[in-house]
Amino acid sequence: MAKKYSIKEDFSMMAILMIPVGVAVNVVGGQLASLLHLPMYLDTIGTIFTAIIAGPWVGAVTGMLTNIVTGILNPVNFWFIYVNVIAGLVTGFLARAGWFAVWWKGLIATIIMALVSTVASAPAVVYVFGGVTGSGTSLLTAVLMASGQSIWASVLSVEIIWTTLDRIISWLVSLGVMACIPDRTLVKFSLGELYTKKH
Amino acid sequence: MDVIMECKNVNYQYPLTDTKQIENLNLTIERGKVYGVVGENGSGKTTLCAVLRGFAPSFYKGELTGEVLYDGKPLAEYGDEIATKIGFVFQNPFTQISGVKDTVFEEIAYGLENFGVPVEEIEQRVINVMKMTNVESLALKNPFLISGGQMQRVALASVIVLEPDVMIIDEPTSQLDPDGTESVFEIIKAMKEKKKTIILVEHKIDLIAEYADEVIVMKDAKVIACGPTKEILAKTELMQQGVNVPQAAILGQKLKEKGLDIEYIPVTEQDAVKVFENAGKAGK
Amino acid sequence: MDKSYLELVQVQKKNKIEGLYPTTKLWILLFFVIWIFILSTIKFTSIQLPLLNLVWIPVLLFMFYISGDFVKCIKACRVILTIAAIIFLAQAFIIPGDREVFRLAFLKVSDSGLKKGFELSTMVLSIAGAFVWVFQTTDNKEIGQALEESGVNYTVSYIFVSTLNMINVLSKNSQTIMNAQRARGVETQGNMIVRAKAFVPSFIPLVLSAITGAEERVLTLESRGFAVKCQKTRVLKLQKSGLEKPAMIVCVIITVLLIAGRVVLWM
Repeated sequence: MAKKYSIKEDFSMMAILMIPVGVAVNVVGGQLASLLHLPMYLDTIGTIFTAIIAGPWVGAVTGMLTNIVTGILNPVNFWFIYVNVIAGLVTGFLARAGWFAVWWKGLIATIIMALVSTVASAPAVVYVFGGVTGSGTSLLTAVLMASGQSIWASVLSVEIIWTTLDRIISWLVSLGVMACIPDRTLVKFSLGELYTKKH
Repeated sequence: MDVIMECKNVNYQYPLTDTKQIENLNLTIERGKVYGVVGENGSGKTTLCAVLRGFAPSFYKGELTGEVLYDGKPLAEYGDEIATKIGFVFQNPFTQISGVKDTVFEEIAYGLENFGVPVEEIEQRVINVMKMTNVESLALKNPFLISGGQMQRVALASVIVLEPDVMIIDEPTSQLDPDGTESVFEIIKAMKEKKKTIILVEHKIDLIAEYADEVIVMKDAKVIACGPTKEILAKTELMQQGVNVPQAAILGQKLKEKGLDIEYIPVTEQDAVKVFENAGKAGK
Repeated sequence: MDKSYLELVQVQKKNKIEGLYPTTKLWILLFFVIWIFILSTIKFTSIQLPLLNLVWIPVLLFMFYISGDFVKCIKACRVILTIAAIIFLAQAFIIPGDREVFRLAFLKVSDSGLKKGFELSTMVLSIAGAFVWVFQTTDNKEIGQALEESGVNYTVSYIFVSTLNMINVLSKNSQTIMNAQRARGVETQGNMIVRAKAFVPSFIPLVLSAITGAEERVLTLESRGFAVKCQKTRVLKLQKSGLEKPAMIVCVIITVLLIAGRVVLWM
């Protein structure tokens, strides 16, 4: 099945209106996670979800806009705009290649995305913030550094574990959402046909 | 007969489904009339609305055969301009606000802005519509923060302001309380007076009996009856097809069966009073 | 009625600083960030602390005050205060450095930790404060309109403004759903598993209704001529408060003075 994708087709009206929803889902997911005192961010569910159903560009815009909007209250997030853009792109390209249509491939794709995100963000965390960005995992990183680990080892080990867990949970939540969306809604997105109950 | 819209042999099927949601539809809509669409849930009423507006297939995708014409031309030929010809209002008031305006005035003006209407003209048209839909007192309120009934009135106003000749209104009151319902129907009445063509899906059959000139009855994707309201809704046998008929008609039918001599089966309260009064006088 | 609707729906701001044109505010923000970086290069004390970073706190408080949005701005700063505190404490007290400056019970404060902590937390705080000032004194619709007036495609400005509004709506809905779940007996307190379980039933309905809503909103927008290709009119006209030019001149003067001062210090 060779399907050609165009950016224009990705940004259908439906996809355009999913960007605000995706960003709001990211923000509210994060709010809810901290309200329930969960040790997770859960603030990329919208990015993952939009990238899976509408492709890399819509995912990237959702990721970018999320950090711009949240950056208004916490400018540390401006530094990490590129990380969420990359997360959206990686997820979206893997989705286009059909990875999210099968659960075990989806799991692998999510892990790949988490690893890419970690590697992408680590230099900024280390060089700009000295390991501590003020986010939930900062204290853990600091404790590791206090115990004598190097800054790179501390940042990478904490972030790899945390980001991967966080993204897997976010992906599972996205799956839950997608399972509840009727086929006739799914097909309105450029990648929707990959996930309908019958092809 | 002044025909404004016409469906010729229309069949439509949503994507990924095996059954048609509209089957062999042949329908003529006359200018200036109010059409009530009735039928049980899932009979294809909402799909009919989508087909008449062109959203099926343009938005819902799927397959459409046959022709849907507005003023003798296929809908597709109008492009985006069709928004000024056929207005569309649906159930959920909340999803009918643009999401980017923070006063009701600007919300109603949004459609005109998008068509590039000059600002002064926008103001006049919006004021007129606000008066007609009774939302002028809300003009400076935030559309996110008003009640469902008020939102639905604003939704109607936002469409009416584009002055379409045809209004398709799909269950506008299903999520509203009695007060909200009443205010929506006052607007429908006002549009009727302005000789707009209205296609209205509504479960509250007494309201259809009161406002509609013609009734379209749907069942299993087909139009099974179509004609003047007084004739169609007087057929109490429609109840077997899952269609509600007005209380007045049921009462009339029962009294007729009991031997009361009435001129016709009434469908509205007003008619019922008249018919029974006459029958009473004649009986004396 | 004294005023027409066209006048009434405009952004009403009596305060001339609060009422600055949004793009001017963004320029001020940019200048402000430049000033922060210039002053942060001047180090004091034996461990090279950029003490002048602290200057920006009273400056920001003053800006909040003269814009007439003091309380609103301070409230918006709470998040960032927490983050700055975490950064400072973690850097100063936990991360080991090269040389111990002083010891507080079991906590060791190192020179490099103190320096990094101070530098980062004060920078984050002052830059964040400047953002807070811009966005608390500017309405969402002003931002959208300013984008369009500066030539950005209306779709982009639609996405931006509707995102800001959507966040408010979803955030309110999530609270409603949470309360409803609590009333139904879904536990939101207790151990982590219990709390994690509360996340899903509160969250998924929220997302689903937003997606269904987006579907209908496509039809709404199409019915309102969103996609029509033509020169769009806008009822909203952004007004200048009159202080735009003076504000820019002041900014340029401050920048020149700061750069000159910095250069003199080098020599």
